[in-house]
Formats: sequence, C-alpha cells, structure tokens
Amino acid sequence: MDKLIPLMSVKQGLPVPPPAALRIARTSLKEKGILTMRKLTAIILLTSIIVVNGACSLNTAPPKEKENHMVFVKGGTFINRTSNFYTQNITIPDFYISAYEITQKEWVEVMGYNPSAFQGDDLPVEMVSWYDAIEYCNRRSLLEGLEPYYTINKEQQDPENKSEYDPIKWTVTINEGANGYRLPTEAEWEYAASGGQLSSGNIYSGSNQADEVAWHFRNAGDEYLAGDWSWPMIENNNNRPHPVGQKKPNELGLYDMSGNVREWCWDWYESENEPKGLYRVVKGGGWIGDVVNTEISFRGKFEASGYGPDQGFRVVRDA
Amino acid sequence: MIMLRKKGWAVFTVLVLMFCLFASHASANTHWQYWSDGIGYIDAVNGPGGNYSVYWSNVGNFVIGKGWAVGSPNRVVNYNAGAWNPQGNAYLTLYGWTRNQLIEYYVVDSWGTYRPTGEYRGSVYSDGGMYDIYRTMRYNAPSIDGTQTFPQYWSVRQTKRPTGSNVSITFSNHVNAWRNAGMHLGTSWSYQVLATEGYQSSGYSNVTVW
Repeated sequence: MDKLIPLMSVKQGLPVPPPAALRIARTSLKEKGILTMRKLTAIILLTSIIVVNGACSLNTAPPKEKENHMVFVKGGTFINRTSNFYTQNITIPDFYISAYEITQKEWVEVMGYNPSAFQGDDLPVEMVSWYDAIEYCNRRSLLEGLEPYYTINKEQQDPENKSEYDPIKWTVTINEGANGYRLPTEAEWEYAASGGQLSSGNIYSGSNQADEVAWHFRNAGDEYLAGDWSWPMIENNNNRPHPVGQKKPNELGLYDMSGNVREWCWDWYESENEPKGLYRVVKGGGWIGDVVNTEISFRGKFEASGYGPDQGFRVVRDA
Repeated sequence: MIMLRKKGWAVFTVLVLMFCLFASHASANTHWQYWSDGIGYIDAVNGPGGNYSVYWSNVGNFVIGKGWAVGSPNRVVNYNAGAWNPQGNAYLTLYGWTRNQLIEYYVVDSWGTYRPTGEYRGSVYSDGGMYDIYRTMRYNAPSIDGTQTFPQYWSVRQTKRPTGSNVSITFSNHVNAWRNAGMHLGTSWSYQVLATEGYQSSGYSNVTVW
C-alpha cells in the first residue's frame, strides 16, 4: 500500500526525490572524498531530475500566498465583439482592478470574521451580500488611508430598491472622486474581463474554452459532470469553490473573472422584462451555475441582500 | 498508527476505484448518474431513444431524466412509465427551468409516499385528470444560475396517474393555467425533461419519453 504515496504525489505535481539514493550519494561524497566518473554522472543526473522536477512544480503549483495586487486597466472602447457593450458607444476610463477575487484572508483582515461556507485563506470569500461587499470596500479604504468611495445610510431605506426579498435596503451613495475601493460597474467588469485594449475577443475571460479559465458546475467537483445541470448531481460530486488563481489568467493577467464565484457589480440590473430596483448585477458565473453563466456577456442578477457559497466579488479603484 | 494509516489508504483506494467504475455518463440533453456513497447507491441507464431507467437505494437526493435541451411552453410531452416503483419520497414529473424570470417548474403525474404541495393557486384539467397548482419560494437556493431566490411552479395531479401505458402531458394547459394564476414563466427556456426525482428513498423506474 505504501506505493500509493508516491503515486499520489506524482498526481499532485509534487517532486518525488528518491531520498535513500540521495542520502547514499551524499554519504559517499563526504566519506570517500573521491568520486568516480560513474558516480558523478549518476549524481548529476539525479540532481538534474530533482531540479527540473522542482522547477516544473514551481510553475504549476500555486504560490502559498498570493498578493492580490491591483492591475492597471488602460481605458478605451470595447474591442471584444461578444461584449454587451461592444455596440454601445462608450469609453471606459483607466482604472485598477484586483487580480483575484477577494480571498477569505483579505476579507478577515478587514472585517474580522469569515462568513464563507468553504473555508480556506486562498479561497474566495463567499456568502457575502452586495451590502457586505460595499462595507468591505469602505473599511478597507479606511484601513489603507484612502477616502471611502461610498456613503452608507443604514437608517434610511433606499426608495429605489423595489425588491420584495431584500429586507436590508440600505441607501448607498457614491462619493465622486474618492480614491477608495469600490465595486466595478458592469461595463468596467466586462471591459476588464474582455482584456480591455488587449482583448482577443474571447467568449470567456481569457479563452474560448470555459474549462481553461473557469470553475463551473461541470468541472468544480470530483468528476467532470456531463448532461444537464442538476443540483443533486452537483452536491454528490462535491463541487466547491477553488483557491483563486489556479486557472489561466486573461489578457490583462486577471484570474477567475469567469467562474469560481460570481462577482458583485455596482449597477442595478435592468432589462426589457425587468425594471431597475429589483436586483444588482452579478458577473462571471460560479461553481454552482451552468457554464453559460461564465460567458463574459452573461448578465447575472441577485437581490442585494442575497448570499450564497458561490457569491463573492473583487474590487476596483479609480486610476 | 501505521495500521490505521494503511487501512485508511485501502478505504481511499476502494473509494477511488468505485468512483472510476461508477463514473458519470455523458449524454446530450440528459443527466446521468452512477454513484455510491457507501450506504446508498444509484444506477441510471441511458437507454436507446427516449428510454431511461433508474434503480436507487437509500439515496439522499437525485434527478434523472430525458428530454430536450431547450424547453417549450407548447410541447406535448409523451411518455410511457413501464416501471414506476418508488419506496419513499419520489416524483414522476415533467421538470424544467426558464430564465428571465428564473423559474423551476414541475408537472407531477405520480409520486411515492409524499404528494408535493405549496401555496395553492387553483387547479387545471389536462390530459384526463385534475391538477392542483401550487407556488413555492426558494430563498438563496442553488439554481442553473447559481444561488438565487426564485419561485417554483407546480401542477400536481390530484390522484396518481396510472402508469404502464402511453400518456401525454400537454404542457401549454399548465402554462396557461399558471399564467391565469399570476404565475408567469420566463422568456428564455433552459432544458425540459421527463424526470424521476427521489429524496431519501429507494425504488425503480423505467421510462420512455418522446
């Protein structure tokens, strides 16, 4: 049964040095002081294998702790034809956006508690409402000496909020020109997910193949799921959120814009069928939803008070 | 300690092998499952054409069905449940989703020990039987669009529909009755299947859909 251990290590991409062989080689170096050519060749070979193996794993294994740096997004008009904003004549100003979804570590450092259903420092924070995300932005701004971008009035119910399922309805207004953290607008999110001025025109953020860039209901569990969406199947398959930054980044170096957890945007959701004031926009899809949710153009929505194990966010700042 | 560790690996290996043997099967417009959690298990077969069969034992929750990738409010769904033997809580149901609005809907023709219910919104006669209409709400619950708050629409036959012969579900009758009860489906149609759904039960069903 012991043979299973190295097998598992190989599967996980970890280097498996043969410790016994290495120890013998080191002993002979120390004790004999003289190396035969044969031994030297063997050691060089062994060392090379270990170094190459180690280097490979450095490339594939995620760093222990990622710094969720802010990526500069050069503004402009939409290049990605799949974006909902492509045909609209709008120009996005420069801004910064976090490379990863806000992790639980980042959340706890600011908020002091962890609401997530699946816990882990490198996992995206989830089970957060739009109001939670807004509060995080302001508190983080204050911690970093920035001017909060939002004014939150918890006493006055937002007259614009018409949702019958949102019992919170705080009134949140914007402090124009403040340099603090904020949620992206829907347009900013799509622009960044599309790769901005570097866009390759992908359907998903960074690829036309969802599996390359996104955790979604088919690939986020033990087995790759086929067939239609089914919650019992997803649950039985141990689907879950994944540590941030494990999939391929998009053209701007942004990770998990498609998939993992859905991301809150600032805007009210509004469409032909649904009036403004019921939902806030969520983008990118997550590990529970159907694959179509992870398309850049998919317009998700959720009551501002809604929360779930697939609901998170990332932050932006004005440039 | 070492013995325990070895035993742990043995159990793990068996579980991995079981997962390989009972890997999920792919099939367009359907969902198939083969799995076992060591206590309960499910064995679903994607038969030829519109046929499927499922044998389940002590299963927590599952949905197996066959139908269409894109639903329609006007579809007449024909089926023959050659076998329908639930022990415990299970539904034989037309099942599907719409987006904009996000709705999960059921037309339940038969069930096991529990007849589903909800907020009563009227009744409708269709395909030889009376169905009661119910509406239920799901709050922050899993859906095709991730966690959402959304309504479920139900038509539940007042008596279990006899199985073993060719029958139809004229879905438009339900859609119209739901609309008259203020229950509007969405404009974007996701999948629509004739399904066997089980919850903490055992049983066997063999269904052909066309």
